[in-house]
Amino acid sequence: MHKILMTAVVCALTAAAQQVPGIPRDAAGKPDFTGVWAGPGFTHKVGPNDTDSPTVTRFDRKKMSPFKPGGLEFMARPITGQRLTDDPTSLCLPNGLSRQILSPYPQQFIAAPGKLIILYEYMHFFRVIPTDGRAHDKNVELTWMGDSVGKWDGDTLVIDTVGLKEWMFDATHSQDGEGSRWHSDDLHMVERLRFTDPTTVTYQMTVDDPKIFTAPWTQDFGMKLHPTWKLLEFVCEENNRCDGGICTEADVQKGK
Amino acid sequence: MKQLLTAVLGLGIALVPAFAHHSFATEYDDTKPVKVTGTISKVEWKNPHIWFYVDVKDDQGKVATWGFSGGPPGMLLRRGITKDVMKLGDVITVSGFRARDGSNNGSGGKVVFAKDGKEVFTAAAEDVVPTN
Repeated sequence: MHKILMTAVVCALTAAAQQVPGIPRDAAGKPDFTGVWAGPGFTHKVGPNDTDSPTVTRFDRKKMSPFKPGGLEFMARPITGQRLTDDPTSLCLPNGLSRQILSPYPQQFIAAPGKLIILYEYMHFFRVIPTDGRAHDKNVELTWMGDSVGKWDGDTLVIDTVGLKEWMFDATHSQDGEGSRWHSDDLHMVERLRFTDPTTVTYQMTVDDPKIFTAPWTQDFGMKLHPTWKLLEFVCEENNRCDGGICTEADVQKGK
Repeated sequence: MKQLLTAVLGLGIALVPAFAHHSFATEYDDTKPVKVTGTISKVEWKNPHIWFYVDVKDDQGKVATWGFSGGPPGMLLRRGITKDVMKLGDVITVSGFRARDGSNNGSGGKVVFAKDGKEVFTAAAEDVVPTN
């Protein structure tokens, strides 16, 4: 009995220690991530006037689990000059998850009862994530953003995503020889978001892709709240003057 | 404004070239840096990347109009760079990288204004950073 009581006390103290003071909470007492964030695609060198540091962010090869036979060849695809495989976003096709999360553009979180809505500035993508602990739909179609469901583990929001079509993991590796890196349509991704202070969130991503890796692996990123930011319009298709490497003449260049 | 522009230098710099939606690596050649001085003749403050045009005179007085791509308007705005920063007729020196097709176009990562020496970092996070 004494041992059980002690265990209960230790658990309660541990839980209390995990509560970060001063963070915003919703009516149900859960952490409220509402706001515009510089996500994992920033290095969070915050400057004057609420600036931040957008940076192309990729998964660290050293964090990855060992590959299954053929896994590396599946994931790392050499640059061939074919834009659809070298980088589909050069054709204005979507980033998809997981690359969308890592894009060097802001994201707006809107907490609603039982839901979290995430709006991504880059290419205007969005996610509506139930946070009531429900399971995935039984018949999930493969999509770029997948099917995400959320639940709370104490003050940590855990987002579980499946139903992702085979697509790029992260931005193309044009100089380190890995070409473009792709996940399979078996990718199961888990995000864990937790405040460490009222304007900082740890953003942990666990990649479970059994077609490629022998085991799931995890990498930690961060988010910084920017109270003065708002999402701005980003349109991929508007003014690509050197699309595919062939530049078109502007009116002021004609005849010169 | 000068302080702000100075402060934003060094922020938002991607050190490793990467493909973006417009794909820097397929459009521009990071082995061919370019640096020109001339007069701004047109500014397109548009997505997914601004373009600005500079009339550059050669030794014989012949004018060529160079086009340079910068970051998306939203990314620049968050660095304190608005479209008012670039005015028609301003004399600027642009550092960047040439377009792969050899035309008078490039990625224009850095702009220095002749009138006051202000430096503005115009590259997108995905672009290669000029070092000259």
